[in-house]
Amino acid sequence: MRSKVAATAALVLVISAACSKTTDEGEEVDQTRTATGVIATDPKDSMGPAAEVPGATKGGTFTIIRENKISHLDPQRVYSFAGLMNAPLYARSLTTWKDDGKGNLTLVGDLAETPGTNVNKDCKVWEYKVKNGVKFEDGTPITSKEIAYGIARSFDPDLTGGPTYVQEWLADSADYDTKWDFKANKTSLPPGLTTPDAKTVKFEFARARCDLPFALSLPSSAPLPPAKDTGVNLDNQPFSSGPYKITKHTPGVELVMERNEHWDPKTDPVRHQYPERFVWTFGADPDAGANRVIADTGGDAAALAFNGVPSSLVSKVEADATLKGRTITSPTPSAWRLTINTQRVTDLAVRQALNYAIDRQGLITVYGGTTVASPLTTLMPPATIGYKEYDAYPAGATGNPEKAKEVLAGKAPELVLGISDDSTELGTQLKTNLEKAGFKITVKTIPADAKLDETKKKDNPWDIWLDQWAADWPSGAAILPVLFDGRSIKAEGNSNTSYFNNDAINAEFDRVLAMDPSAQASEWSKIDEKIMKEQAPAVPLFVEVAYYLHGSKAGGVFISSVFGYPAFVNAYVKQ
Amino acid sequence: MSLSPEIVEPVQATDPVPVERGVVGRSPGQLAWRRLRRDRTAVISGCTLLVLVLVALAAPLIEALYGVGPHDEFKHLLTRRGSIPLGYAGGVSADHWFGIEPGTGRDIFIRMVYGLRTSLFIALASALVTAAIGVTAGIVAGYLGGWVDAVISWITDFALALPFLIFALAVMRPVELRFYGPREEVPTWFRVAVLIAIFAAFGWTSTARLVRGQVISLREREFVEAARASGAGLGHILFRQLLPNLWAPILVSFSLAVPAYVTGEAALSFLGIGIVDPTPDFGAMIFRSIAYLQTDPAYVFFPGVTIFALVLAFNLFGDALRDALDPKSSR
Amino acid sequence: MIRFLIKRLLSVSLTLFAVSVVSFLMFFALPKDPVAGMCPKNCNAERLERVRQELGLRDPKVEQYAAYMKGIFVGRDLGSAQGGKCEAPCLGYSYVNSEAVTDTLGRVLPVTLSIVIPAAILWLLLGVGLGMLSALRRGTLLDRLAIGFSLTGASMQLYFVGALLLLIFTYQLKLVPVPHYTSILDNPLDWASGLVLAWMALAFLFSAIYARLARAQMLETLSEDFVRTARAKGLAKRTVYGRHALRAAITPLVTIAGLDVGAALGGTVITETTFGIQGLGRTAVYAVRGGDLPMIMATVLIAAVFVVVANFVVDLLYAAIDPRVRLS
Repeated sequence: MRSKVAATAALVLVISAACSKTTDEGEEVDQTRTATGVIATDPKDSMGPAAEVPGATKGGTFTIIRENKISHLDPQRVYSFAGLMNAPLYARSLTTWKDDGKGNLTLVGDLAETPGTNVNKDCKVWEYKVKNGVKFEDGTPITSKEIAYGIARSFDPDLTGGPTYVQEWLADSADYDTKWDFKANKTSLPPGLTTPDAKTVKFEFARARCDLPFALSLPSSAPLPPAKDTGVNLDNQPFSSGPYKITKHTPGVELVMERNEHWDPKTDPVRHQYPERFVWTFGADPDAGANRVIADTGGDAAALAFNGVPSSLVSKVEADATLKGRTITSPTPSAWRLTINTQRVTDLAVRQALNYAIDRQGLITVYGGTTVASPLTTLMPPATIGYKEYDAYPAGATGNPEKAKEVLAGKAPELVLGISDDSTELGTQLKTNLEKAGFKITVKTIPADAKLDETKKKDNPWDIWLDQWAADWPSGAAILPVLFDGRSIKAEGNSNTSYFNNDAINAEFDRVLAMDPSAQASEWSKIDEKIMKEQAPAVPLFVEVAYYLHGSKAGGVFISSVFGYPAFVNAYVKQ
Repeated sequence: MSLSPEIVEPVQATDPVPVERGVVGRSPGQLAWRRLRRDRTAVISGCTLLVLVLVALAAPLIEALYGVGPHDEFKHLLTRRGSIPLGYAGGVSADHWFGIEPGTGRDIFIRMVYGLRTSLFIALASALVTAAIGVTAGIVAGYLGGWVDAVISWITDFALALPFLIFALAVMRPVELRFYGPREEVPTWFRVAVLIAIFAAFGWTSTARLVRGQVISLREREFVEAARASGAGLGHILFRQLLPNLWAPILVSFSLAVPAYVTGEAALSFLGIGIVDPTPDFGAMIFRSIAYLQTDPAYVFFPGVTIFALVLAFNLFGDALRDALDPKSSR
Repeated sequence: MIRFLIKRLLSVSLTLFAVSVVSFLMFFALPKDPVAGMCPKNCNAERLERVRQELGLRDPKVEQYAAYMKGIFVGRDLGSAQGGKCEAPCLGYSYVNSEAVTDTLGRVLPVTLSIVIPAAILWLLLGVGLGMLSALRRGTLLDRLAIGFSLTGASMQLYFVGALLLLIFTYQLKLVPVPHYTSILDNPLDWASGLVLAWMALAFLFSAIYARLARAQMLETLSEDFVRTARAKGLAKRTVYGRHALRAAITPLVTIAGLDVGAALGGTVITETTFGIQGLGRTAVYAVRGGDLPMIMATVLIAAVFVVVANFVVDLLYAAIDPRVRLS
């Protein structure tokens, strides 16, 4: 009987695993990686072809295994990490990051010849010249017209999900879609956006927008011919401008991309076209994904498990000698913090006491260990350009309850901790940890799918909760003002979830945002420290550590220094 | 395919009424009890159940003797890198008999003892509520017939048509929101109550159908006729005359419902509904452990074997009970 | 017979109507706002409000329900945000998947059917076979083994069995490919090999119930007079057991199987999740989690249709066999 064989085999597995001793050895992840970033000044940096990847070969099918489908494929709607890592394969934007996977970043022109010309040096007028020889998947050349149309359609309220920086800056208002109605003006362009000729895209802003070159690196600046615009349906079948085009898409099951013969490597500074095709397969949960890649059979030998190695499988992966050289590990820019709702917790001493009390090591243990997370005491993650390490409330790896009690001076604040119902163990850990320091914690579970939306509502009822932020580009400008500028607080959909509003800090933001991007870096880390020392609107906790596994035939994958997820522009299949 | 009429009859009667043929003058109950005691499987599974129930009841006592509580943490016994228990077999030691949980570092043995308590309570309570609703609906529908029967049968059909897991998933959260403010902690007893209610709402139909079938075959019998002729009230007929004749199928379906709810609760925890951390619970525990099948099999093994033994014992006992109450199908 | 048929049909439609109303109301009780998630980083309350209005979520519930029903029978225009004109039977446009619900269903339904139907055949054969065998060899070692096997199955968790099967056959022994779905029309062999583990797991768990039932039913039938008569008449053992007893015992099993298959078609959530296959069950769970009204409605209704139809067919079969059922 089959079941008997199975039972015996299972028993053997259980016994063999049970009888081996678990020890605490293995190398620690290099947690000191920081980012250095520059904006390319030499137009040659923006020219193709990209340097060959050592050992890369052409051909084959590269498979990416992921649990859930990519939420959007339409470049104007892409914003999830999977989407952002996948989009460069079929969508080119005005600028892009040259990334060595070790934290060294250069912003270069992608469709544009340079990362942009700051015409009057005041960040109010920007000009982009379109490269020669860039083409869509049907061979038609890409001109300023299609790029401007792509940006214009991102004003369409039907096309939800994408970033809104450029729209808000052009309209100089958060209500950009009422300022300029895309559907009523399909043949014209939004205010401030012009195409003086077929090679030039020009942005004119009411205020200084020094971050424009960064914002344009998101796929929402990808081009689209108006005739190819299928509205919401473009999401399932985008029109390619990159090295690959979508040839088969079964939503939620499979996405197949094959080479686009009209893509010219000479125009592209970052992408390659090594594999014959890329295939995303959806459905396998993180355990199954990792197990498939470990098994290394058939097509999975050239696969990457996009959900990473779950912490429950880490010790198996580390113990297996055959998997050496098949893992990629690196800290990511994805930073977790314990957000303090400053509308409710108005007492600075309470916020500081929380910072003294926090047991980062305990939290990381529950989260899955040091292979998946690394402690953080700053608001910006180390992968931010110009990062400087500091600890405003030094209390050791496991926190200092005594010091916290001292700061509380006899108070026993009662706080409600909102916790997503899929991570209740983290809630238990926080409660036990903070109650040791004299807090009284009520744990309130929130449905995992609603937690994000609910905590983004200004009048939400909770005092503290776990939040996670990964910037859209590795600059303090995409972190601190977004998370802590009080003037942006609205009824719902807030990123400033601490609901923190401080005039002095807001003024600091304005001052630095008007500076030249290259001069901003060191200023942001000063503001970071200032916010933590003087206001403590959050408790920095840890950054996620990426821990990925790929098949024996997969090559060229690196962890993006911008987003902290696997990048595919260098990927190849070993022949 | 032709079917002889004789065999259409037992369709409803997979659990027929106990045949009362006491020769020595023993009551059917005594007879069943004697048969049960002679059945080795019944004795073994019954004893297993008794032990497990005792363990669950004595949880605080066991905690006192064992010296470790269900919420005590031993994180220093986990690896820093992967949060897996140090040492052999998931950290089994003299202090931690079944090892400790990866991640949280809590003692598995004492959490199982308390988890048994939660799970058994949910399963037994659900089975009781289910049986009460099912029996009442079944007797009423079967005896009264007519439009009452039509309505109850329609509700049964309706409940059967709703996909259980989807509804359980959709119902749990709104119910919590309805009863508890956004800053109030939802107590464990409330979650337990909601789980029981969900099981009851979906589980009563099979008992109702079973009982209805039985009642239909009983209602024309002489003793019912006699009671009706002597002017007995409806309540008297339903619950004094009919119910005592239904104990056998009810008992059997009850004993088989309990293990179904134990596994049902584990299935719900698969969807993330039910009992939440830190309350110890078997369903949540076994679901959480599955991920560690390869890296910490001991964590899967101890709760897995126990819940298996529990469910198996209930199933075996249920079968034995059926045989004992219905000598026709036993050897 | 015609009257009975009409009566049953009315009752079935009423059930489906009630299911649709209940699942509609259920959506509005969900804590998840389907619109709030549509702009992940910075959002604007008024814009969200406009999206809600465009999706019709601000209309009175009765109107929304009427519009939905109209869509099913005559089709409707959903507006540019949802792919425009939607032909009947229009089940709406999924907020989460960004595609017409009918497209999604057309894709996931064959998957679920491919999991459940072969599994059901397998569990019926296995269950009935084991049950028969142990009834005929009552009291022997074989009987005990068969019962033990089926009880073991009945006492396990599907995701537990599934995880073990995957670990052993796919990841360790590498005998079976990673579970996946290919259309049977494209490649029957691939279709079977991609789903075989799911079939095994389901069959192992479900056959238990049938083995026990079949055993009890068979024992009962064997003691019936017509079987004894047949034996006494000198008919061969094989003929008696195979033709008379088996036929008699199998009828009630088919009844239960009908209902079980109906229920399984609507709820293979755990099987699909364990084996990473995207079918109806998982689609329904995502719909509930994402607050995707059109998808919730569609999946719940389809699941209900399966159960109701299975019930209906079973009833019809009985009515055809037994005139008494028609009268009551």
